[in-house]
Amino acid sequence: MSALETSVPTSLRASADRRVEVKGLSKSFQLARTTIEAVRDVTFDVRRGEFVALLGPSGSGKSTVLNMIASLIRPTGGEILIDGKRVVAGKATPDVGYVFQRDTLFPWRTVADNIGYGLELSGVPAQERKARIAECVAQAGLKGFESAYPSALSGGMRQRAALMRTLIVEPQILLMDEPFGALDTHTKIDMHEVLLRIWEREQQTVLFVTHDLGEALTLADRIILFSARPGRIKDMFTVDFDRPRDAVKVRETPHYAELFQHIWHSLGEEFVKGRSA
Amino acid sequence: MKRYGTLGTVGWQVLICAIVLSVWQWGYDLRAKLPWLVPDLLDPYFISKPSMIFDNFLIQSCLTSKLGVFNGWFNGEFAKCLARNENNLWAATAITLKNTFFGFVTGVVSGFVAGLILGRSDRLSAIFQPFITAVNSIPRIALAPIIVLAFGIGDMSKIVTSWIVVVFLVFFNTFEGARSIDEGFTNAARLLGASEWQITRTVVVPSTMAWVFASLTPAISFALIGVIVGEFIGAERGIGRLIIESEARGEASGMMVAVVVLMLVGVVLSAIIWRLQAYLLRWQRQRSAE
Ligand SMILES: Nc1ncnc2c1ncn2[C@@H]1O[C@H](COP(=O)(O)OP(=O)(O)OP(=O)(O)O)[C@@H](O)[C@H]1O
Ligand SMILES: [Mg+2]
Repeated sequence: MSALETSVPTSLRASADRRVEVKGLSKSFQLARTTIEAVRDVTFDVRRGEFVALLGPSGSGKSTVLNMIASLIRPTGGEILIDGKRVVAGKATPDVGYVFQRDTLFPWRTVADNIGYGLELSGVPAQERKARIAECVAQAGLKGFESAYPSALSGGMRQRAALMRTLIVEPQILLMDEPFGALDTHTKIDMHEVLLRIWEREQQTVLFVTHDLGEALTLADRIILFSARPGRIKDMFTVDFDRPRDAVKVRETPHYAELFQHIWHSLGEEFVKGRSA
Repeated sequence: MKRYGTLGTVGWQVLICAIVLSVWQWGYDLRAKLPWLVPDLLDPYFISKPSMIFDNFLIQSCLTSKLGVFNGWFNGEFAKCLARNENNLWAATAITLKNTFFGFVTGVVSGFVAGLILGRSDRLSAIFQPFITAVNSIPRIALAPIIVLAFGIGDMSKIVTSWIVVVFLVFFNTFEGARSIDEGFTNAARLLGASEWQITRTVVVPSTMAWVFASLTPAISFALIGVIVGEFIGAERGIGRLIIESEARGEASGMMVAVVVLMLVGVVLSAIIWRLQAYLLRWQRQRSAE
């Protein structure tokens, strides 16, 4: 994935409105004695530049879906198309960036070197790299920690560094698995602001996994609700607040409260099921 | 540093040294009075005495003559003494160190490369698994006589002996390290556009480093052991040769001098490894160091 190839040819832009197509996707894990059905027949599309939130209880297969889209694991059934091309497990699709649920910062690299990793891979000259790292460090509020190792950071700081490591190569499709899960509410909303501004500028296609309904409402154009295991799509909601959004102000509108109420009920049922499953 | 009781850590260490050295030096003198207390093993015939060892050291290193007279540095006596004995203490130490170094370096490099390759390839590791297990169950040092037979009594046989004990140790650690790499790291790298080679260089090697270093301190001792055993079996020079010669003369202090020199060499080499590790693996320490 070249950092310089950030824009897609206009011909493609015009023809394919659907950027990510997930068709009848299923995944079962074979364990020693049992088979775990993690995802069952999931179908959805994501339009170019759309921000979609995947919401669902723990164990409902959200990470598994992202892993399949990222070509990290092979589906047991169905297929995924990105720009009309079928995703093949084991072959990384260029232009897909992934912020993992689990901390995968390289412990042997400093914060700056972690963030600059993707640029280093594609041979961006050190001078330019430095400037762009500095920019990202500032955006993530990590100033002063550039030369610290990840072991010296708090969980939230590590998440922000990991986010920047992914964003610096400017992926056009962004998979994010609870990227702000470990942040306090205040920092979280700060990060929502940062992400919204970046997204407005870059117009990436985003698939954002979260447990947090408020977060999904703040950020997304559409919320896909997953049922408790095996993960299926239970419902979809359109979030039609105006753009550009203000991560704080949007929460104060009556429409926000309305939508929150509406989805909360549906969500609650699944969380109860998820707990007993 | 924490203090334990009234003596500090260093205080205790000095005290322990003083006691051991005193018993070693004067313990056997008590035998006439207290025969039930002093074991035969304290006989200076077997273990010499600190003072005798020191005198012997001065002679072997050509600092004094056999009569105990100091050889001046500049009057040529020192140089003449060195020239008289091809395997003087200095030359012997140098040659043993040199062979240890080559055995160690070749062993570490080849063990590391082999460990990485096999550790990263399921196919190769499956093919070689039984051979590795088989070869690993041979006590490598038992091969020393064969190696000396094959490579002669020169330096090469010492280097090979040392190599063979080091290479497996490093290989197994690297192999385990390469097998246990967190998939999250390789996935992250791959999704950021890393090629297989870039993954090896930027993820596999650094995350295997901790495992490799865990094997290096034992490896350096093993390298030294390999060389010494090789020298025991057949050599013209080296510290192992000095020990064998002193043993033939029934001269415990000569052997002890060699042993002390080996100990010092081992300590210095381990310290070097330790410093290197502290630098290369500094990312592991940062938090606790604060
Ligand atoms: N590699 C695997 N091997 C076996 N089972 C797995 C594996 N990965 C996931 N699973 C199972 O698949 C199910 C879905 O897991 P997944 O991680 O996708 O859930 P999730 O929705 O991301 O949950 P959370 O919100 O807690 O992250 C779980 O029951 C899990 O145990
Ligand atoms: Mg998950």
